[in-house]
Amino acid sequence: MNFMTRKIKVLFGTIVALALLPLSQAFAADVLKIGYIYPSPAGDVGWAHELDRGRLAIEEAFGDKVESMVVENIPEGPDAARIMNQFAAQGAKMIMLGSFGYMNDGLKLAKRYPDIKIIHASGYKLAENMGNFQTRNYESAYLAGMSAGQITKTNTVGMVAAYAIPEVVGIINAFTLGAQSVNPDATMKVVWLNSWFDPSKAQESARSLIAQKSDVIFSIYQDTPSVVTVAEEEGVYVVNTSSDMKKYAPTKLLVSMQISWADHFVEQTQAVLDGTFKGTAFWGGMADNAVSMESWSDDLSAEQLAALEGKVAEISAGKFHPFTGPIVNQDGDVMIKDGETMADGDLLAINWLVKGVETRLPK
Amino acid sequence: MIDSLTFLLAGTLAAATPLIFAAMGELVVEKSGVLNLSIEGLMATGAATGFVVATVTGSAVAGFTAAAFASMLLSFVFAALTLGFLANQVAAGLAVGILGLGTSVLIGKQYEGATIKPIANIDLGFLSDLPIIGKTLFGQDPMVYVGIASVVLITWVLNRTKLGLIIRAVGESPKAANSIGYPVILVRFCAIAFGGAMAGIGGAHLTLSYTPLWAEGLVAGRGWIVVALVVFGTWKAPRIALGAYLFGAVSLLELFVQGQGFAIPSQLMSAMPYIITIIILAIISRDARIIKLNHPASLGVPYTSGE
Repeated sequence: MNFMTRKIKVLFGTIVALALLPLSQAFAADVLKIGYIYPSPAGDVGWAHELDRGRLAIEEAFGDKVESMVVENIPEGPDAARIMNQFAAQGAKMIMLGSFGYMNDGLKLAKRYPDIKIIHASGYKLAENMGNFQTRNYESAYLAGMSAGQITKTNTVGMVAAYAIPEVVGIINAFTLGAQSVNPDATMKVVWLNSWFDPSKAQESARSLIAQKSDVIFSIYQDTPSVVTVAEEEGVYVVNTSSDMKKYAPTKLLVSMQISWADHFVEQTQAVLDGTFKGTAFWGGMADNAVSMESWSDDLSAEQLAALEGKVAEISAGKFHPFTGPIVNQDGDVMIKDGETMADGDLLAINWLVKGVETRLPK
Repeated sequence: MIDSLTFLLAGTLAAATPLIFAAMGELVVEKSGVLNLSIEGLMATGAATGFVVATVTGSAVAGFTAAAFASMLLSFVFAALTLGFLANQVAAGLAVGILGLGTSVLIGKQYEGATIKPIANIDLGFLSDLPIIGKTLFGQDPMVYVGIASVVLITWVLNRTKLGLIIRAVGESPKAANSIGYPVILVRFCAIAFGGAMAGIGGAHLTLSYTPLWAEGLVAGRGWIVVALVVFGTWKAPRIALGAYLFGAVSLLELFVQGQGFAIPSQLMSAMPYIITIIILAIISRDARIIKLNHPASLGVPYTSGE
């Protein structure tokens, strides 16, 4: 009997404690809880890894004023919506959505909870309390292209790309323009994987491009070091996006097109803490420290490096835009007239390839 | 041109090897009358286990062995559901397949995105240095040859040995096999275990040789190709192997053609390996009599001795 009462007491106590838990959380409002959702595991390299570095930057900048809740590897769809609502229930006041496909669920959440501020990767829908962020990878692609144009002996660059979406088409164009600015004979071959994730196929694509005389490989948005390791093995140069992959190709990495969310994330968190957050579309380039060149190859000569660094400075200072006319497409039509610069809106929807790319766009 | 040909021919053998291992296992399972649809999950578990064990121990042999055991253990779950509890084989296979994909993520968690030194290709001196043929026939990794040997071995066992006869008898008419004293459940259990181990080895070949890295989702649908190959190859080992090589060849040819810049939509090109493999296998196997002869009559039907 005694035992029973004790058991009931314990049970009752637990229930009370559980009921009070949300209350206590509500009172602890001086700590900003931030929820993060990544579409893939935050490994050593790749997209989610860079998002996670943004989170670490926030934690470093704000210390115990912020508290992180991280959920990795969430497919776009109902699972993501569930996690978002769970974050809201746990008292998150700021949420970072790490993938394009979280957009509509994120927007619903933003409307339902006006006090939760949301930042969303690579989407285009905005709300008062929901902003999005992207990087101007075409800037770094132009520079990487320049270095490829300088170093290629066969004048052939092979590219491994997932799907022909405007973002990818834009960086293929910028890379080609960069290569041709220093080497007018440079041509590009593209293999479209038509799959967001198939490392085996990406490796075979790289091998097929190398067999067809490409001596520089451009690995576009491959989250794994698949292409980079093949290039090292076969002894051809390689450029990769998002993360630095020097350790996977210590002798053959030409350069990495590093992205960084640190500054933007810290800025947005500050705005949330100050109560000044407003949903904006952030498209960060070299001037914003969102894009940078990492690990230039030692095989580039001092002269070549100087030319590259000069261009880096020009782009950072806003003095040079890779999409400055005259630019002609594959059929020879002038798409951007002499002296004109492509508007951001057009660049975000680009659906044609520049002259010098041999492969046609899948249509 | 020689580079491209070497890429295509040598690549085909390597690309087909994971499929061949898993398909030879699945063939034996289906010949015993059990339809195991969990190959994708079994391969993923083998791929992750093989990678982790080979990384930790530094031994590829240990990696392949561990992969075989891990996938075999997982296939016991399938065996328990279908043989023990007489669950629907399709549903149980799908469930175990999903379980396998999840298990692979769990096993590989700490190694996401890590790379490994691939197992070395054999070197037969001047033979391996011959143009095109050298790299294709005499310069592959050892598991490619083991894969080819397994096709020969499975063909022989199924068609020329008493063991093969028992397996086929159990798959044709478990009741008759039981009535003359063969332990139907035990035979099927062993077949499932063998199929699991082979799928594990196939998966490990992906991560230890073909794509020497681990990333979640690396198997990328190859397990389903295996299931299709067994059916479209009309349960004949040489035909299944032919299908696997064909699939490997066309999927490499696709990448090659894209690089050449032909104006063929790349989406169509990406679908080509599936379309061509299925069409060709369907054509060579169009004889209804042969299909009927090779199709295990009791495939997918649960069996109890108590009836």
